[in-house]
Amino acid sequence: MKTTNPQQRALALFSIPVFLFLVIPTAIVVPVALNDSRYITFPPEGISFAAVAGFFADRAWTSALTASLQSAGIAVVIGVLLGATAAIGLHGRKFPGQPAVVGLILAPMIVPTVVLALAFYQFFISVGMVGSIVPIGLAHAVIATPYVYLTTRASLAGLNPALVRSAQSLGAGALSVLRHVYLPVILPGLISGALFAFSVSIDETVMSLFMQSPGATTLPVKMFTDIQFNLTPKIAVSSALLVSVATVGLLLQVMFVLKRRSSARMLPLAVSAQT
Amino acid sequence: MTASVISAGSVPRSGRAAQGAIELRRVSKRYGDVVAVDELDLTVQPGEFVTLLGPSGSGKTTTMMMVAGFEEHTAGSVLIDGSPVDTLPPRERNLGVVFQNYALFPHMSALENVEFALRMRKVPGPERRQRASEALDRVGLGKMGDRKPRQLSGGQQQRVALARALVFKPAALLLDEPMAALDKRLREQMQEEIKTLQKSLGISVLFVTHDQDEAMAMSDRIVVMRDGKIVQSGPPEEVYNHPETDWVASFLGDTNLIPCTIVERDGEEAVVDLGGLGLAKVRDRGASGENYAVSIRPEHLKFRTRTSAGNGCAATLLSSTNLGATVRHRLMAGGHELQLRELSSDRGAGIVPDEELWVGWDADKAQLLVLES
Amino acid sequence: MSNATLAGPRPRGRDSPPSADSTPRRRRSGWWLLLAPILAFDVVLFLTPLGKLVGASFADNAYQRVLEDPLVLRALVNTLTISLVSTIVTVVLGYVIAMVLWRAGNVTRVILFAVVLLPFWTGILVKNFAWAVLLQDNGLVNAFLQGIGLTDAPIPLLHNRFAVIVGMVHCLLPYAVFPIFSSLTSIDDRLGLAARSLGAREGSVFRRITLPLSLPGISAAGLLVFIISTGFFITPVVMGGPGDMMIANQIDYYARQLTDFSGAAALAVILTVMVSILVAVYQRVLKAGGQHEDN
Repeated sequence: MKTTNPQQRALALFSIPVFLFLVIPTAIVVPVALNDSRYITFPPEGISFAAVAGFFADRAWTSALTASLQSAGIAVVIGVLLGATAAIGLHGRKFPGQPAVVGLILAPMIVPTVVLALAFYQFFISVGMVGSIVPIGLAHAVIATPYVYLTTRASLAGLNPALVRSAQSLGAGALSVLRHVYLPVILPGLISGALFAFSVSIDETVMSLFMQSPGATTLPVKMFTDIQFNLTPKIAVSSALLVSVATVGLLLQVMFVLKRRSSARMLPLAVSAQT
Repeated sequence: MTASVISAGSVPRSGRAAQGAIELRRVSKRYGDVVAVDELDLTVQPGEFVTLLGPSGSGKTTTMMMVAGFEEHTAGSVLIDGSPVDTLPPRERNLGVVFQNYALFPHMSALENVEFALRMRKVPGPERRQRASEALDRVGLGKMGDRKPRQLSGGQQQRVALARALVFKPAALLLDEPMAALDKRLREQMQEEIKTLQKSLGISVLFVTHDQDEAMAMSDRIVVMRDGKIVQSGPPEEVYNHPETDWVASFLGDTNLIPCTIVERDGEEAVVDLGGLGLAKVRDRGASGENYAVSIRPEHLKFRTRTSAGNGCAATLLSSTNLGATVRHRLMAGGHELQLRELSSDRGAGIVPDEELWVGWDADKAQLLVLES
Repeated sequence: MSNATLAGPRPRGRDSPPSADSTPRRRRSGWWLLLAPILAFDVVLFLTPLGKLVGASFADNAYQRVLEDPLVLRALVNTLTISLVSTIVTVVLGYVIAMVLWRAGNVTRVILFAVVLLPFWTGILVKNFAWAVLLQDNGLVNAFLQGIGLTDAPIPLLHNRFAVIVGMVHCLLPYAVFPIFSSLTSIDDRLGLAARSLGAREGSVFRRITLPLSLPGISAAGLLVFIISTGFFITPVVMGGPGDMMIANQIDYYARQLTDFSGAAALAVILTVMVSILVAVYQRVLKAGGQHEDN
């Protein structure tokens, strides 16, 4: 096949600015955070860790970081437990009402986060759960669970349900089937699901904003509040921290794609974009 | 030889009338270190139906793709009607191509599919539609013009693909395993239709297939390919009856291969020693190698009486299998296991009860060939 | 999967003799145990809050109140126009990227995939912060425009609708690329070859074959991107001006500024219903696209 005709060269040429448009914003974040200047500029004037030191010396920012990690921890643990058990429970089974169950599991991805934020805000006030990171973590778990369910389900796709049944007919008990049949198969899906859950929680802003309290202000909420007044070096450092999380997630996902050779399948996972 | 029945089409860029001669001169295709096609020389005469026959990986499809212009050859030259087309893109080569699975445009009706080439040649609307429906009429689908490809059967899709490839009056037609997706019965019917169409149009065809029956049924000439090289070419009967190597003999059908040593070679005939089967007179194409064998097709072995003339020897019957139209007998003769095939209606003819079983064959049906494996 | 692994662990007690009737019973009970946690969790922490929200929306004549609020109407119009423009830009740019991915070799494709996924993994505030840095008066974009002599003084690129759309398109691009890419890869390569053999130039191949056959991907991408667009909340605040507030911002305004819960709930229900209808259409489009491929 001829690969270099003028049209394809034109396409490649036109696509360069589009790819730059995708990359540049993320690429500048770390240099901006290490900029040796009191002002936020790019390109940086020199390299300095002053802003990083300032960030970690500021109680308001470090407690925001702690809050974010706590909420992500809650979201990952709950998301992994619920998402994985649901995927295994539904694997290879058809029953009346199954589409409704799957629909319910995936529904949190479709509802706009601002709507969920409002609903949780009212709900947690009504049950008297305010002023701590727990309701925020629970809310994040609600939107993180479908991701774990989907990645686990994807890794189960190659496992023949008949095999599991044959394991059971050979006398394997439910727990040993879980451990010896399911766990090895779902492990990659579980890891990537946990990563998704962590990333969803650490970046989530809207729900955390509605449910914030002095002791429970997450990193994105702190950034959102500050950014409306000024672009500060501490926001830049916080962004750089989140970008490193994103990079790890991205690299693991690319490795996953490379291993599976199915680039298209896994991606349009999420309707629940954090907007 | 431009006796095209399909209405006058666009004149090729050279200005001369299309003859449809395709010529490959020492054409090679390399992918890095891998040689897919190795210095191939091949000519398709105007009006000739030439089949590239070979197993997958033999380079036959690559060869066709290079003629069509979809693959660039790495050495040699491709000529159409005497002029090199090496630098021409596919759209300027004026060749009709029918692909495996037809590659019909799924979003266009049958008529729009056929119109496509004329639209690309800026033929005005009314004339375009008329010529396209004439082409569909010719393949018996005049009433199906409005249907989308998925509403047509496999055979109908095949016909649309043919009409689409012929409507712009190409210099030649290239067919890449066009019948692979059809069932046996439809395949045989389409083979006849394509052959009839090709004869009435007088168009040259380069046909690619791995199915030796199809090649036998359709071709004026079969070019057998293996590992990017031509191993034998000639009219179907000749290639079938007089293979030059045991590989060709086996690839083209069942055969009995009896190792032999040459006693005497004389032009087209040779005398060979078949070991336990004695001396025999066989056909010789002059191929030379280290080891030799004689190939006799199972249908050329006959039950005979001991007294009859020609080659033959005593045999014992091991088993018989009814295959419907024919019966296959397994025999032991002179230390060799042989297959003999005869029509079911002739079953047992030539076997004389209470006498020793005797098999024989005509000298011109036994072929001396080179043992490669 | 080796048989040894399956047969390895020996069962204990009553479970051990596997018989035709005991196996299905055990399987069924195990299956409900596995589904129970997520169902309980979603009922308590997802359906109940949403139910309460819907309940609250019917109090105090909320729907009528919010729909008569000119600010709400403005936000609705903003939401529709901003989402529409973002969707069109996103789909066009997404198509370009999908074409490049489609035509790229294996190694290039993986690298470019990573580039496309980068904004997907980056948090919304990080992206908006980066765009604010780039688009501010002394930012890189203005420096570039001044550098090539397009302008002498900085152009206000931030805190306006342009900035909102830039920020949104950047977030949305990955969601457009993948549906289009997958519809492109489902096109049989031989169709392009056939068109070329029939006399088509590259431009005609694209216009008459590739583009029409990727329409299912385009409509899926467009719908998905539009659905996500309608829920944007952070970007209009960080990148936009006062006149660029969208429906999500209006929900926030009712809830946290006016402390009018029923009004906020009514707006939230309106947004959810809108999105649900679009999601239903989206799934139908996906299904239709799938059927097309099967044939």
